[in-house]
Amino acid sequence: MSLRISTAPHMHNPLTTQRLMQYVCIALLPTAAAGVYYFGMPALTLLLVSMASAVAAEFLWQKIARQPVRIGDCSALVTGLILGLNLPASAPWWIAMIGSAFAILIVKQLFGGLGDNFLNPALAARAVLLASWPAHMASSAFVKLSFYRAGLDTLSSATPLASAAAPEYPYSLLQLFLGQTPGAIGEVCKVAILLGFLFLLLTGTIQWRIPVVMVGSVFVWTLLLGTKMLDASLNTALTAVLSGGVLFGAVFMATDYVTSPITPFAQTVYAFLIGLIIVVIRKFGIYPEGVTYAILLMNIATPLLDRFLPQKIYGHLKKEAK
Amino acid sequence: MSEKKSLGKVFYNGIIPENPTFRLVLGTCPTLAVTTSALNGLGMGAAATFVLVCSNIAISLLRKFIPDQVRIPAFIVVICTFVTMVQLLMQAFVPSLYESLGIFIPLIVVNCIILARAEAFASKNAPLASAADGLGMGVGFTLALTLMGSIRELIGSGSVFGLSVLGESYEPMILIVLASGGFLTFGLLLGVFNLIVKKIEKKKALKEVQAA
Amino acid sequence: MQTKTFRRGIHPLHHMHEGKGPTRDLKTREYVSDTVVISMAMNIGAPAKPCVKKGDHVDIGQVIGEAQGFMSVPVHASVSGEVVSVDSIPSLGAGNVQAVTIKNDFSDTWVELHPLGNVEKVDPKAVIPAIQAAGITGMGGASFPTHVKLTFQAGKTCDTIIVNGAECETHLTADFRLMLEHSTRIVDGLRAVMRALNVKKGVIGIEDNKPEAIEAMQKAAQGREGVSIQPLKTKYPQGGEKQLIEAITGRQVPSGGLPIDAHVVVLNVGTCAAIADAVIDGKPLISRICTVTGAVRKPANLLLRIGTITEDVIGECGGYSETPGKIVFGGMMTGICAPNDQMPIFKSTNGIVVLGDKESRSKDESPCIHCGRCVAACPIGLNPYQIKVAADKSDFATAEKLHVMDCILCGSCAYQCPSRRWLTPSFKFCKDHITAEAKAKAAAAKERASAGLSNASDSKDKGSKEKQSADHASNKEGGANK
Repeated sequence: MSLRISTAPHMHNPLTTQRLMQYVCIALLPTAAAGVYYFGMPALTLLLVSMASAVAAEFLWQKIARQPVRIGDCSALVTGLILGLNLPASAPWWIAMIGSAFAILIVKQLFGGLGDNFLNPALAARAVLLASWPAHMASSAFVKLSFYRAGLDTLSSATPLASAAAPEYPYSLLQLFLGQTPGAIGEVCKVAILLGFLFLLLTGTIQWRIPVVMVGSVFVWTLLLGTKMLDASLNTALTAVLSGGVLFGAVFMATDYVTSPITPFAQTVYAFLIGLIIVVIRKFGIYPEGVTYAILLMNIATPLLDRFLPQKIYGHLKKEAK
Repeated sequence: MSEKKSLGKVFYNGIIPENPTFRLVLGTCPTLAVTTSALNGLGMGAAATFVLVCSNIAISLLRKFIPDQVRIPAFIVVICTFVTMVQLLMQAFVPSLYESLGIFIPLIVVNCIILARAEAFASKNAPLASAADGLGMGVGFTLALTLMGSIRELIGSGSVFGLSVLGESYEPMILIVLASGGFLTFGLLLGVFNLIVKKIEKKKALKEVQAA
Repeated sequence: MQTKTFRRGIHPLHHMHEGKGPTRDLKTREYVSDTVVISMAMNIGAPAKPCVKKGDHVDIGQVIGEAQGFMSVPVHASVSGEVVSVDSIPSLGAGNVQAVTIKNDFSDTWVELHPLGNVEKVDPKAVIPAIQAAGITGMGGASFPTHVKLTFQAGKTCDTIIVNGAECETHLTADFRLMLEHSTRIVDGLRAVMRALNVKKGVIGIEDNKPEAIEAMQKAAQGREGVSIQPLKTKYPQGGEKQLIEAITGRQVPSGGLPIDAHVVVLNVGTCAAIADAVIDGKPLISRICTVTGAVRKPANLLLRIGTITEDVIGECGGYSETPGKIVFGGMMTGICAPNDQMPIFKSTNGIVVLGDKESRSKDESPCIHCGRCVAACPIGLNPYQIKVAADKSDFATAEKLHVMDCILCGSCAYQCPSRRWLTPSFKFCKDHITAEAKAKAAAAKERASAGLSNASDSKDKGSKEKQSADHASNKEGGANK
């Protein structure tokens, strides 16, 4: 009789990396659906292009570098989908393609592949696209949205934050919540994002800490500082939370496993600082929106947080007290 | 460098095996700053080459007279002289290039490559070898800068040496001609160059093994 | 009563694969096979030396292996009959061990016993020698000689005896059945130890997924001086010594120390029952309850003689229900794989879990995605993913700096890892390597100090081999050798 021999444990939690990534994809579905509903076919095309090119880029790299092909773990799919949701619906298809390729090849694979990238690939790619083709990515990109259903195509702003320059803020909180505003495909519909958040929580894919602290931090800091054009008030703070990519970033991007800290306290600090940086960029920076840069900055700080805010280890308390 | 190398080898040394930009990673400041276009890269390279060759010859000639304790200041004085010459010449004959290179022309004085070659090579070798070394290093630097400038110009502006290559419909990737794009291009080229050099060295080692 | 617990650990484990269902409600039944193979190395420390030879007739309870020094316990015949052979068999860890094979004549004759009687009246000084003579070792898995555990160095004090009835391991129900069927014996054993050590407080900790056991033990503990029952939250590894101490007393065992450094002694329920047998009836440890489950036709809780061969046990349970892929001694989280089904039952074998071919297939590692599940699971508070990086590079110094030596090898991190990384095996390798290195260093230093005394390290080497068959015990052993 031949028996297998291995060291304990002899069983595993059925949750695998692949399953986790699939959960993230499922959680993104309502957001993607809402984006397609609001922005129509161009949004769908963009999402498909960015997903397909992300997976293709990963496959090609792993073939060329003679690595085991791991596109089955769905991580490239998630990157592509998140990047697509970060684009304005008016962006041309090749932007999605270049962005996905950049995210996978340069941000992820050149640094060692899954688990070793120091930045969130989708966000880094978005930052590159924003710097490279501002005409397609920034404020003016949203003007051409004649297919936009809510009839807001006369507006000329990337996010509702930019139009805060007008004396009257043009959107009600309800409109912001439902997503009847311009914005990137995935970030407009807050209801869909919250649905996804709920799904991620229920499946245990992410913990509540990072999203809740981050949104809370944006809320509190805006309540204290106000925005560029609006005075600090409760309404301003609520508007700030519901505008731009705060919710989308908090739920889907700041929670990226690889680039967020691990211990609960480090996570809290991380999320809190992201919120602070967002508000600082929005109030004092030249950009109307700062979620991308805030998360990227804190991604870089993640190893430091993990290193300097460790957990207490059992049995080491008394020694220190001595 | 006690062993005698042929002039050709000394010259070649600066182009691939010890390319100042990609192998020694010296003079990265102008490399990152001026390579927004191929012409800028070429101009910067040419100016640096001129200074390199001249200062190498001058320092090699003076190597027996410069006391060891004050050699660095002495080298810098020599280098300064040639940099000033280049600066004035460029201002007189190619004012547009002079404008676009700006502060980086006078900064050639503190360019690591030039001081490094003076210290490592010219102060220990005969004038002819030093000239070959300066020329090799200069050409290597120029090639690297021109290559990087071409790539950045091509992607960032759609042209090479000011000539439109990719046509009207091309939408340039502005990032590449910004500072962060400089780092990005430099990093990627470093990787590619090292990959190629490693392959060459492997082949060489294999040949030697086979010969033996 | 309020339930207590420790920090972190894994919650959902018990909901998902507790595995206790098939045997939970099965009453223990006795099974005696016609041949037993009794290993001489069933404890941490020096193995016993066989003192019978081929052809000898032995009675139940007769000493067949003599203890070698203080860190060792005697071994007794578990059946009456003829000694068939004395030779070496493969052990569960590494290397071979001496074993005595006895053919059972089913006459069940006992040697003369020396009972001490009622635990409340027995001379406290006689308890520990009786435990030592009965060959009792920790029966929860670690096999630490119990009399050593109960003898402390001068200056150390004990104010609480904790009895471990948590049984947090998957699939095992042996302790649960023992608590239901022999609750008074457990309390008797605890009282004997409390009187021997003059300790006023004894706590029996039981996970709250065993309400029947809690009730039975509460009934048994009624009117017994200083004995109380503490329900614990169902969470893995609640039954780990350090976790149990943290849950019940709120204290922590200092790193590298023993429970006694937190003024606590922890005994398994099985050990307590064995102590009661040794004190009240004078009987040595010759049998134990063992859960046999998994891919067998009729899972059961069996009262088995020490030395019963696995094949016979499986036969008693109706045979394999599918081609076996793995036979695990112990639970799924910390159990050790048996190399074949000729392995005999040890004093610490609380369960045999048979895994089918499909379940036992190992999975390939995929890259770490830094999800932090291992950190959230680690009951010690380590960063398993970082230690794993160091372990993969064989960078033992960094692993040690990351406190790999505090790891209790509970397997929580490896269980939770979505990338199926071999965390616990790596840490075990690190710990073994670091311990071996430290020992080699100490031995070398000793040799330099006195070149003549080369025999001194001999017993230690054997100790290190034994260590591999212990789960939670490495810390203990390190401390005991000091």
